[in-house]
Amino acid sequence: MPTQILNALRTFMHGNGAVLLPELQLLLFAVGMLVMDTWADKDPTSRQRLWNPALALAGTIFSALTLWMLHARIIESGDLDAFQVTLIVDSYFLYFSALFLAATALVILLSVNYPASFGLTQARSQARYYALLLFACMGMMFMVSAVDLFVIFLAVETVAITGYFLAATPGPSAKPTSTAITPLTAGMLGSAILAYAFSLLYGLSGATNIGRVASALTRRSNVAKVIVLSQQAGAHGAEMYQLLQSRLPGSVHWHPFILAVLPISAFILISIGILLKLTTTPFHSALKEAAPGIAAPVLLFLCGAFAVVAIALLMRLALTIFAETQGLWWYIVAALALAMILWGTYTSVLETNLQRLLASSSIAQIGFILLGLVSANEGALTGMSYYLFTYLFILTGAIAVLITVRHNGVAAEHLSDLAGLRRHNPISTILLIVFVLALAGFPPTAGFLGRYLIFRSLLQTAHPVLAWFAAIASIPLAYSYLRIAVYAWRNTGSPVESAAPSFGIPEAVVLGVCVFVSLAAGLYSEPFTRLARYAFGQ
Amino acid sequence: MLPITSYLFLSFALLFIGIIGALTRRNLVIKLLSTELALVAAAINFTAFARLYGDASGQIFAIVSIVTIVLQLLVALAIVAAVFRHWNAAAPGPAKDISSQRSD
Repeated sequence: MPTQILNALRTFMHGNGAVLLPELQLLLFAVGMLVMDTWADKDPTSRQRLWNPALALAGTIFSALTLWMLHARIIESGDLDAFQVTLIVDSYFLYFSALFLAATALVILLSVNYPASFGLTQARSQARYYALLLFACMGMMFMVSAVDLFVIFLAVETVAITGYFLAATPGPSAKPTSTAITPLTAGMLGSAILAYAFSLLYGLSGATNIGRVASALTRRSNVAKVIVLSQQAGAHGAEMYQLLQSRLPGSVHWHPFILAVLPISAFILISIGILLKLTTTPFHSALKEAAPGIAAPVLLFLCGAFAVVAIALLMRLALTIFAETQGLWWYIVAALALAMILWGTYTSVLETNLQRLLASSSIAQIGFILLGLVSANEGALTGMSYYLFTYLFILTGAIAVLITVRHNGVAAEHLSDLAGLRRHNPISTILLIVFVLALAGFPPTAGFLGRYLIFRSLLQTAHPVLAWFAAIASIPLAYSYLRIAVYAWRNTGSPVESAAPSFGIPEAVVLGVCVFVSLAAGLYSEPFTRLARYAFGQ
Repeated sequence: MLPITSYLFLSFALLFIGIIGALTRRNLVIKLLSTELALVAAAINFTAFARLYGDASGQIFAIVSIVTIVLQLLVALAIVAAVFRHWNAAAPGPAKDISSQRSD
């Protein structure tokens, strides 16, 4: 009997299980942490407290190793699929999953030393916090692995529900605020809109697999093209008219626009639904009335990884289902991106609270990345995946500096709190300036190259107005970032009495990795752009 | 069976009412109920299309989407309860409870 079970397990692991394994490992580690936690001491020592983050990190490392093995396997035998082609493993999945694992690992490292800063004083709540991070990461990996509307919907829900809990994690004030409720109501509306959009796609195609939906939509747009041709004067038009009358008698009176309305409205609803579900936190955190009550590592996770997964999913759907109708929907993406850039820039220029500034400017950064979908050529897609990759590390670095500075006794809530930072914490100041320059998009940092690749693709595909507009909008955005550097560098302000500044080992690791990526990806970009191209199987 | 357009009109109307309700009302419970309406619109669409194509997967999607929204509601109520309990305990002065979010 045990051998039979083992054999069945082995067969599963060679077939469907292999595709599921990276997510499965995260799930097992998260559940294991929750189970082990019931036996944990009520009042653990500081060494025992390290168990939870260590287990969570081990989960991400195991999952990353599995990704590496899957990478070798798809080089050998092509993309894998499982469960009646609802999940696939391709280079897009591997690239973005590795990115999510890295983001989760960085957030875990940043949370280790300061459990008290977000109300995690009890060991119980710590285990739940790390398990939630792993669940969220698992959902994100499912989101980029799924190629079926069903599974995509469920994965989005998984990520969003863990996001609601994370947003409700109390900040330094240990008081859950309205920060917890707004993402929730907006996210629920988002899931309703997303489900409606998926129902339209299902109605248009009769299928839920995105490849089959895409081919149904292509047939539809071909009919629309034939109708346009049949309405032209001349012999060719008459021939087309006869063809239509013989094949699809009803369609000769259709307006081609009618055929395009439903796919386009599905696209609009999908973009709104995904953005509402996954990127509400930066929007909400940017609002004045929202106290910066959200803990810094959680804010980083919700503004960084959530935004990246939203764009990754949107990109996957836009390039498969809606690839044919790109000529129609780029207006919508451009309008959305410009609105996000304008609003994000406007709010961040006026902002003086550091956490809110980073949150609201992340809206503008998402806008810049979305502009890549307007041109959607090879350069733009490389630019988008490069930008997403580097942005995640740069944002992590900036927030990591804020966390270490706070640990060293500076409040670091408002811009003015940073005054005189250079005098007693020069290393943090220099690191902060590097990250701020990268966020603002100055050469030779990685932030410059990402934006440059996207602007260049806009110029190549004859959208010079958009490119110029975005380039000009980067100036006030750069100003809002550079204020941080100026405040930190200036010698004024009351000297803060504090001991010699120190970094914990986890923070030092995070800062080292982030500085490396933000400088190396700008100075010697070739390996990084090659990595970004890998996402699209090149 | 009624023509498919009837179902589409019904579901579109429900979606519209739901979105308007979720955006304009201030009462949290009404907001959540409006969201529920919008989701029911999607479920109606799925069921109608499933009937049209004679394909069960649409009906399954309808059931799954209803289940997930119920789960979300549970999460929502848990968080709302936690937040309001905290407000009542931590903020002296005028009691802030769920009824202070009443519309109009």
